[in-house]
Amino acid sequence: MNPRGRRQYLALLRKDLRLEFRTRETVVAMGLFSLVIIILFEFTIGERVGNTAPIAGGIIWSTLALGAVLGVGRTWVPEREQRVLDAILIAPVSRLVMMSARTTALVIYLLGVQVVVVPLAVVFFVNGTSAVNLLLIAGVCVLADLCIGIMGALLASMSVFSRTRELVLPVLLLPSLIPVVITAGGATDAVLSPSRQMAEYRGYCLFLAVYAVIFALVAYATFDYILDD
Amino acid sequence: MTADDGALVDARGVVRSFGGRRAVDGVDLCVRPGERVAVVGPNGAGKTTLLRILATLLRPEAGTLTIAGAAIPKQSQAAREHIGYLGHDPMVYLDLTAQQNLELFCDLYGVPDAPERIAAALSRVGLVARTHDPVRTFSRGMAQRLGIARLTLHAPRLLLLDEPYTGLDTQGTRILDELLGGLGGREAIVVVTHELDRALELAGEVVVMRRGRVAARVGTAGVGLDRFRTDYQELTA
Repeated sequence: MNPRGRRQYLALLRKDLRLEFRTRETVVAMGLFSLVIIILFEFTIGERVGNTAPIAGGIIWSTLALGAVLGVGRTWVPEREQRVLDAILIAPVSRLVMMSARTTALVIYLLGVQVVVVPLAVVFFVNGTSAVNLLLIAGVCVLADLCIGIMGALLASMSVFSRTRELVLPVLLLPSLIPVVITAGGATDAVLSPSRQMAEYRGYCLFLAVYAVIFALVAYATFDYILDD
Repeated sequence: MTADDGALVDARGVVRSFGGRRAVDGVDLCVRPGERVAVVGPNGAGKTTLLRILATLLRPEAGTLTIAGAAIPKQSQAAREHIGYLGHDPMVYLDLTAQQNLELFCDLYGVPDAPERIAAALSRVGLVARTHDPVRTFSRGMAQRLGIARLTLHAPRLLLLDEPYTGLDTQGTRILDELLGGLGGREAIVVVTHELDRALELAGEVVVMRRGRVAARVGTAGVGLDRFRTDYQELTA
């Protein structure tokens, strides 16, 4: 990214974070929604299955993926509702810069939610774990959030001009996140298993990194055309 | 026909459809630096669609278009450096302050001396006292004045204005008049309006559109409002 692109990227990111800090619409909605799903899982599955530790990773990442749909759905909402979209699209900003700023903002929102939701879910479903394990799961969160952020920014931008975007977005986003949810769940389970499976964990993390690269390449190849009419 | 190298807008046979209906149907338009063109016509004539094509917000389906020498859509990003667009809405974030909005657009356009430009723009539109207030607390007219400040930040050469007087209070109208009146021979204006008197006052040429086509081009020198109104009614009947 050249200096001008970097300035534009930082300006767009700062704008997204300022809007979120002022309105607190996205992170609070994602967090509350994720907490409600965790509680639902606890009462519907946790109460019936004695030991939920082996499936905790799946529960956590299904929850986070559903919560992410809310966050991704809020992308471009201020621009649409406050009619700023034309002013942003008409600015001489590369669409790739726009997508990078959106992706970064989404990753920050997701991490903000996960700081609360993941430890709580570990308490609910695994009866606690070590600080080292939580740090390892934080690594999974960063990689998985990168995948979700890139795909989310791409699909949200694809649906920004669609009249049925509220329906289209989850229908497109959730299937595209299936490999991410499976892999991140696997990595989390590898960490939370009684004898930590580091080889398995590393393998899953590598898969997540590969997904992130593939998603980034898809976004790079398509994003310039998506927001242009 | 060859492209007009000096023109800020050079549109030839531009076409754009929506759902099979041609909203803009083979429009030619050439606007050189220093020229002011008003586009008038009844509702659905294609005025706003034409303006959005010139603003690079819509791609033409057929025909050729260059903006400030940049071919659209291939070189849209280069063309956008020169475009200032003001619509019915101020196009600013309601939850950011006036200063934060203008800082954002300075960064997007790579404006070098941003603090000075922002201070000058806010002073010009009479919003210095509200610099650090969220736009949500502004009246409609004040927000529209901030939109005018946003429009001028990067000193665009091509001003595209879609009903720019909508929602403006008396002070805002005066500010916009002063701004447009103070433009020199470097800039060009294309303004879409319903107000025929405003079109005659602002522009050197009025383009009358009807059903997506240019029905007539009228030079405004020496043309009275009454005669123009009669001609307009005949052209758009």
